[in-house]
Amino acid sequence: MQVPRRRPRHRRERIFQWLFLVPAVVYMALFFGYPVAKNVVMSFQDYTTATFFTGEAPWVGLANYVTVLSSSLFSTSLLNTALFTVGSILGQFVIGLALAVFFRRKFPLNGILRSLLLLPWLLPLIVSSAVWRWILDKDSGALNRFLGDLGIIDTGIPWLTSTSLALIAVVGVNIWIGIPFNLTILYGGLQEIPDELYEAGSLDGATGWRAFWHITWPMLRPVVSVVLVLGVVYTLKVLDIILGLTNGGPANSTQTIATQSYALSFHEFKFGEGAALGNVLVIISLVFAVLYLRASRRAVDE
Amino acid sequence: MTTQLKALPASAAALPARKNWGYTALAIFFLAVMLFPVYWMVNASLQPNGTTLETSWLPLKPDFTGYATAINEQGGNLVTSLVISLGSVALSLAIAAPAAYALAYFKVRGAGLVLFAILISQMIPGIVVANALYTAYNDLGLLNSIPGLILADSAHGIPFAILIIRAFMNGMPASVIEAARVDGAGHIRAFWSIVLPLSRNSLITAGLFTFLFAWSDFLFALTLTTTEAVRPVTLGIFQYIGAYVNDWSSVMATAVLASVPAIVLLVAAQKYIAAGTTGGAVK
Amino acid sequence: MKSIRKTSRPLALAAAAMIGLPLAVSGCGTSTASSSEAVKEISVMDYYNNEPDKSFIGDALTSCGTQAGVTIKRETVPGKSLISKVLQQSSSKTLPDVLMLDNPDLQQIAATGALAPLADFKISTDNFAAGVLSAGTYKDKVYGLAPTVNTIALFYNKDILAKAGVTPPTTWDELKTAATKLTAGDQYGLAFNANPTYEGTWQFLPVMWSNGGDEKKIDTPETEQALQLWTELVKDGSVSSSALNWTQADVKDQFLAGKAAMMVNGPWQIPALDKEPSLQYGVVKIPVREAGQTAVAPLGGEVWTVPQTGNKARQAKAAEVVACLNSDEKQLSMAKARNTIPSKTTLADKFATENPKLATFTELIKTARARTGQLGEEWPAQATKIYTAIQTALTGNASPADALKQAQGQ
Repeated sequence: MQVPRRRPRHRRERIFQWLFLVPAVVYMALFFGYPVAKNVVMSFQDYTTATFFTGEAPWVGLANYVTVLSSSLFSTSLLNTALFTVGSILGQFVIGLALAVFFRRKFPLNGILRSLLLLPWLLPLIVSSAVWRWILDKDSGALNRFLGDLGIIDTGIPWLTSTSLALIAVVGVNIWIGIPFNLTILYGGLQEIPDELYEAGSLDGATGWRAFWHITWPMLRPVVSVVLVLGVVYTLKVLDIILGLTNGGPANSTQTIATQSYALSFHEFKFGEGAALGNVLVIISLVFAVLYLRASRRAVDE
Repeated sequence: MTTQLKALPASAAALPARKNWGYTALAIFFLAVMLFPVYWMVNASLQPNGTTLETSWLPLKPDFTGYATAINEQGGNLVTSLVISLGSVALSLAIAAPAAYALAYFKVRGAGLVLFAILISQMIPGIVVANALYTAYNDLGLLNSIPGLILADSAHGIPFAILIIRAFMNGMPASVIEAARVDGAGHIRAFWSIVLPLSRNSLITAGLFTFLFAWSDFLFALTLTTTEAVRPVTLGIFQYIGAYVNDWSSVMATAVLASVPAIVLLVAAQKYIAAGTTGGAVK
Repeated sequence: MKSIRKTSRPLALAAAAMIGLPLAVSGCGTSTASSSEAVKEISVMDYYNNEPDKSFIGDALTSCGTQAGVTIKRETVPGKSLISKVLQQSSSKTLPDVLMLDNPDLQQIAATGALAPLADFKISTDNFAAGVLSAGTYKDKVYGLAPTVNTIALFYNKDILAKAGVTPPTTWDELKTAATKLTAGDQYGLAFNANPTYEGTWQFLPVMWSNGGDEKKIDTPETEQALQLWTELVKDGSVSSSALNWTQADVKDQFLAGKAAMMVNGPWQIPALDKEPSLQYGVVKIPVREAGQTAVAPLGGEVWTVPQTGNKARQAKAAEVVACLNSDEKQLSMAKARNTIPSKTTLADKFATENPKLATFTELIKTARARTGQLGEEWPAQATKIYTAIQTALTGNASPADALKQAQGQ
C-alpha cells in the first residue's frame, strides 16, 4: 500500500495506524502478558502449594523439564496427543468443509438448519461429557443399544473402558465438537467468493471438482489457514472433554500432554512440573504454527 | 457429486425452489445424526432421576420437576449470561475489528510480532490466565461485577476475532480501500463506511464465536466471583452438582432452557451472512 | 532513520507494557485489617454448594455465628474447585476466616503454613475418633476438626439376594461366589468405582487395608491379593468393565436401576435410595479376606480450619465458630440431617440406636483410618500410583503384581 511521502502526513498516518492497534495490544498485554511470563518462570522453579502462601519458590533451572520429559508417561502422552490432534483435525476439517460446501446450495430452511448445528457449542461441557458418557456406556449406552438393535453387535463395545478404543471414542467426541466450528467459519469464507468467478469458470468448462480445485480452494486459502492453525492450537489444549469422558484413562490410554500437565499441577500439586509440561505444549503449538504459516505464505506467493 | 453439480446450473434455474426439498431432507438427516446427543440431553431432562440409564428412545412419561427447579432458580442467571455474552461480543468486535484491519492492510513494523503474540495467547491454558486475573481483580475491586466478567470473557474472543477477521480481510481486494482513500476519505471514514460493511460476514462469524466462548465460559465465572450476586448460568448449573450427589435432572433441564435464547440469537445472526458482499463492490 | 525510531518506539512501549502494567496493577498492596474494632462478621468458604447440604450447613453456621456474636458471610464453591480457590486466596492473602477442607487435603494445606493450630484457641480434641484426629494433625498439631465423617460399606439389594438364595458375604470367597451367582441377564453381581481418580483409590482402600496392605509401599503381597480380588471380579464378569469409568454416583445409579445386586458406596446415597420405594437394601461391612481380620474403612468427611489471616480478633471468633460446629449437639444434628456419622466416639452408640440405617457405618468409623495418616503431604502422589495400578491390572495390561510394581516404581 502506497503511503504519501510528506513527513507530517507520514507521522500522522503512523499514529492513526497504531491507534487501530493500541486497544488490542493493551488488552493482550494486560490479560496475557503477565500469565505467560509467570508460567515460563514457574517452570524453572520448585513451585508447590506452600509457594502460594509464602511466595518462596527455589530456582531449579531445567530440573522440572528433565523430570517431565524423561518420565515414562511422557512418551505415552506425546503419542496420544499426536494421534488425538491428527485424528480430530482430519475429521472435523473434512466433514466441516464438506458440510460448508453442501450448505452453499439454496434450499428451504438452509439458514435455520445451519444455525442449529451450533447447538453442541451451547451445551456446558459438564453436560456434554455426561451425555456422551451415557451414550458410550458399554451396557446401557444408546450407541451400543442402537448397534445391537440393528444386529451389528452381540455384546456391548467398551468404548470408554478399552485401552484400544478409548482414544478413538474421545477423538470422535472431539470431532463432533469441532465440526460446527469448522463449518461456520469455512461457510463464511465460502460466502466471500464472488459468484461471478464461478459463472466465468463454468463458461470455461470448470464445474464440479475442477471448480472447487481451481476457484474455491485458492480463494479459501487464508480462511483455511486460520481454521487449521487455530484448530490445531485448540485441539492441543483440549482438557475438559477428555477429563469429563475418561479422566485420562483407562490406564493412561487417553492421557495427553494437556491432561497430564493439569494432573501434575492440580492433583499432585507439582506446579513447576505442570508448568514445564504446559510450556512444552506451547512450544509444539508454536513450531506447528510457524511451519504451517511459512508453508502457506510460500504457496500464496507462487 | 460431479454429476449433481453439473446438473445444478441448468436445473436450478428451470425448476422452482420447492424441488430442492431433497437437499433439505439430507440436511435434516445430517442434523439428526449430529444433534442426537442434544436430543438425548432433552430426553434425560425429562427423566425422574435425570440420567438415561433406563430410558427408552422416546420420553414416554415426561417428568418436569427438573424444569420447575430450573425455571424457579436460574432465570436471573440466564439474564446475567446473556448480558455478559452480548457485552463481550460488543467489546471484542470493537477492539478486534480495527486491529484486524491494521494487521491486514498497514505495513506496520512489528505487525508480525503482534500476530505471533496473539497466536501464543491462544496456546495458554485458561487456568493460568484465571489465576493471574484473580489477584488483579481482587486488588482492583472488579470481583463479582458484570463489567469485570465482560472484560475477562473477551480474553478468548479478542485474539480469536482478530485472527478470523484478518483472515477474511486478506481475501478482500485492497483496490476498494485504495479507491476510498484516493477519494480523500480519512482512515476512520474508510474503515467505518467501507471496510466494516464489506467485512460483515467475518464480523458476524467472529461475533458468533465470541458469543459462544463467553456463553460457555465456566473458569472465569468461577474464579472471578465470590458471591452469588453475579452468577452466569454455567456456574449456576453447579449448584446442582455437589461433592457427593448430583441432581442431574435439574442440570439437564437448565442446560436445555439456557440453550433456547442463545440459539434464537444465533439463528437470527446467521441470517445476515450473505453471499458475495465483496463482488458487487469491485464492480 | 527518524521514521524507524518512531515506529519502534510504540513497539518498545508495548513490550514494556507486557510486563510492567500487569505487575504494577497486581502490586497494589492488600490492606491489613485493624484488630482494634470488634469483629461483626466473619467469612466462611466451603464446598457444600448443593441442596440440601447447603442449607443444613448454612443453618449450623448461622446458629454458631449467633452464639459467637458475628454474622456469617459464606462462599460456596463446587467441590472440585475448592483447592484452586484456596490457592488463589493464599497468594492474594484473602483466605476466609473459616475454611472447610476435605480431610485428605488438610495436611497439604497445613504444610504451607496457611492454617493456625487449633490448640492456639484452646479448642478441645477430646473424644474424637482416632482417624479423625489423625487426618487433622500435621506435625503433632491439630489444624482441623471434622464434626461428621463418613466411609464406605457394601450395600445389597435384599430382594435380589433373597430370590437367589444368597446371604450377604463376609469374606472375599463368599463375595466372589455371591457376585457370580447374582450376575444374570443385564444384572451384574457387584458394582464399584475403579476410575482413574482419587475416588477409585478410595474404594480400593478397604480391601487393601483390611488385608494388611500398606499405602506407603504398594508392591507387597497383601496389596497384590487385594488387587487380585478386584481383577478377578471384573474378569469373571461379575463386575462390569464400565467400572473403569464409573464415579460413585454412577455406581449408585446402577444399583438403583437394579443393574447391580450389590454395590460399594457411602451413606450419602441413602436419600436417593430411599426415594425408590420398591428398593429394599441392607448394609454390611466390606468383606475381609479371612474371617477374623478387621474390616478397615477409609475416613471421609470434611474438616473445619482457621486460616492465618493475620487478624487475631477475627481468628478468635473463627475458632469459636469451629468449636461450636464440632460440639456434641451440632454433631448429632448435622449427622442425622446429612446421613453422616458424628466423629466423637462417645456419641456413637446413641447415634446408631437412633439411626439404624447408619449403624454399620457408625461401627466402621470407630476403626476408620485417615488416608493421610502415615503419608501426610505425600499422599496425593501415592494415591495416583494406586489408581494407576488398579487401571493397569483391571484392563488386563499387566498382572496385579506387575501393575503394582510398575506403579510403585514411577
